[in-house]
Amino acid sequence: MGGDRARMWRGRRRLLPTEGTRRGAWPGLSGSVSRGARPAPGLRRRLELTFGLLALAISVLVSVLSWVVVSGYLLADRQDTAVSETTLGSSVLAPALARGTAPVGSLLGALPTNDADASVALVSGHWYASPSATAATAAATVPPSLVAAVTSRAVAIQRVVVDGHLSLVVGAPLQRRGDALFQVFPLTELERRRTTLAWALGAAAVTTSFVGVGLGRRASRVALRPLAELTALAGAVAGGRLDVRLRSHGDPDLDPLARSFNRTVEQLEHRVRADSRFAADLSHELRTPLTTMLNSMEVIAHRRDQLPGAVREPVDLLADDLRRLRALVVDLLEISRHDAGEELQLEPVDVGELVRRAADGTAGRAVTRVEPGSDLDGHVDKRRLERVVANLVANAEHHGGGCVAVTVEGDGDTARITVDDAGPGIPEAQRGRVFDRFARAGGSGERGVGLGLAIVQRHVAAHGGTVQVTTSDAGGARLVVVLPLH
Amino acid sequence: MRRVLLVEDDARVRRVLRLALEDEGFTVLEAADGGQCVESVKASPPDIMLLDVMLPDRDGFAVCREVRRGSDVPIIMVTARTDSHDVVAGLESGADDYVTKPLVAKELAARMRALLRRTEPLIGRPTRHVVSGDLDIGIDDGVVRRGGQPVNLTRTEFRLLVELASVEGRICSREHLLDRVWGYGYFGDSRIVDVHIRRLRTKVELDPASPRHVVTARGLGYRLAG
Repeated sequence: MGGDRARMWRGRRRLLPTEGTRRGAWPGLSGSVSRGARPAPGLRRRLELTFGLLALAISVLVSVLSWVVVSGYLLADRQDTAVSETTLGSSVLAPALARGTAPVGSLLGALPTNDADASVALVSGHWYASPSATAATAAATVPPSLVAAVTSRAVAIQRVVVDGHLSLVVGAPLQRRGDALFQVFPLTELERRRTTLAWALGAAAVTTSFVGVGLGRRASRVALRPLAELTALAGAVAGGRLDVRLRSHGDPDLDPLARSFNRTVEQLEHRVRADSRFAADLSHELRTPLTTMLNSMEVIAHRRDQLPGAVREPVDLLADDLRRLRALVVDLLEISRHDAGEELQLEPVDVGELVRRAADGTAGRAVTRVEPGSDLDGHVDKRRLERVVANLVANAEHHGGGCVAVTVEGDGDTARITVDDAGPGIPEAQRGRVFDRFARAGGSGERGVGLGLAIVQRHVAAHGGTVQVTTSDAGGARLVVVLPLH
Repeated sequence: MRRVLLVEDDARVRRVLRLALEDEGFTVLEAADGGQCVESVKASPPDIMLLDVMLPDRDGFAVCREVRRGSDVPIIMVTARTDSHDVVAGLESGADDYVTKPLVAKELAARMRALLRRTEPLIGRPTRHVVSGDLDIGIDDGVVRRGGQPVNLTRTEFRLLVELASVEGRICSREHLLDRVWGYGYFGDSRIVDVHIRRLRTKVELDPASPRHVVTARGLGYRLAG
């Protein structure tokens, strides 16, 4: 029993991914996605990019600000140290100069200094330098504007470039007017610190940007998860499944979308069901009057001998068309039931034997050849496969100049059934249309082939198989059914 | 003349089927609903019954079960579709066979004759018995006993059991049983066999869930085990 149920379930599942024609029936759902030649970057990519750029902008701003503040502070600190050093130097140098006991150069060399590169003094219009520098170099190092500022009795600072390195020159006036002490402080340490800082901040900015991209990716994944679900469901709907619904996540931003999607699918399902129910109801309603007509005709046909000669022919015509009407109503019911979705009844069947019986029975002669060595044992819906084969053979008989051959071969996994007719073949352009309901065999003037091939296509698809039109070796139409056996 | 009870609520369909079935050689009794049907079977049992699933007062399954309680008359259920649950429900409520609408008297008559033919008792021959385990099948008198107690089978169930017994323990495919018991060809609905086997088991097996007499040969059919 459990096995039967599993088989039923499989049958039901197989009905679901219903073939390309259904997909084509909803062009709005499958076709609206395509765009121009060059697609715009996806939402995910845009979110990543936005997060990345935002992170980059913020981190650059923060880095520049910190660099400015920190390096300004470092420079001010350095300048304060330098100024106090030079001020101290001038207060030591002034009394020594006044005493005049030692040459100016040695006085400059003896100044208490931590890190000045050089000390130079302008005394009575002459330049003097500490032993570590020459007077000429020193004089060239000190810019004239600084000299002017200091000689007007103020402590002044100026940054200059010495031998390609930035240095700080601090000047302090001495006691006598026009005399001044200048000290050159290297800023290489400061430069090094600022460079290190700049690298550190740059690295931080780059890292932050990458973290931003990562965050953007993660955020987009989280944000797009409902969209991915929506895409999958829309695909399922386009594939013919109308029983799918989006789950509510309790998210006020997403639930309206889920609701309207579900409402759309519900309406679609309602319309599709209503359409197929209409056909089912119609054929259902037709059956009662049809029963009356068919059986009345039997009663009349039973007394055909008693009919006047003039009415025999119209009665025969009526009888023929009643038979056709009956077949049509039965077909219509079959196809509307399929569209409404129903279960296959899979059972173990020798497909070769089934095809032989169905094809030979329909053709009224032996037309079937089962390839020797074929393995054709499978689980199929016997009634539906019989309809498939009978409809294909009947179609070849009535619309293809007669059924020439039916061939069956199988490898245990799939069966391949070909039905060849004696007609002129089906033009390439019309091959997709022959499986439409009430498709016409030739031009618009020809009588429609009815529902036979449409039923074939649906029953084969329900088994997970395919049916295609090609050309036989003799140039006639060849219909090929490929059917999974399990 | 065979008497067929036609249970159908549409008066026009009843009238036309009466005319057409009379042409086929049947005497037609009519019932418009389940109540009339049950009354009619009690008052004057027909040879065969044609029972529509859709009736105004109650569904055909309930009517079928009620008739089955007191009669083994062959019942053909008339359903709307081949692959609805109606078919299995109809067979499980005791119908012997089913047909789908629209009905044509000639096909219907063939079906009824097949059912009536097989249910005719084989009289005038020496009584034969097939004994299988604690089952004793009286092929000619139509009496089946399990452990000495008579088992109440419908005529279709009896024929099914006899068919299984007649091949002496070999496997009967469902197609074979459909052909022999119901007169269907290869494309007959094998659910008819499966449901009847289930019903048969509830009557001849001590534990129908693990049958010892009517055994399933997976993928092949059924056989009678000793």
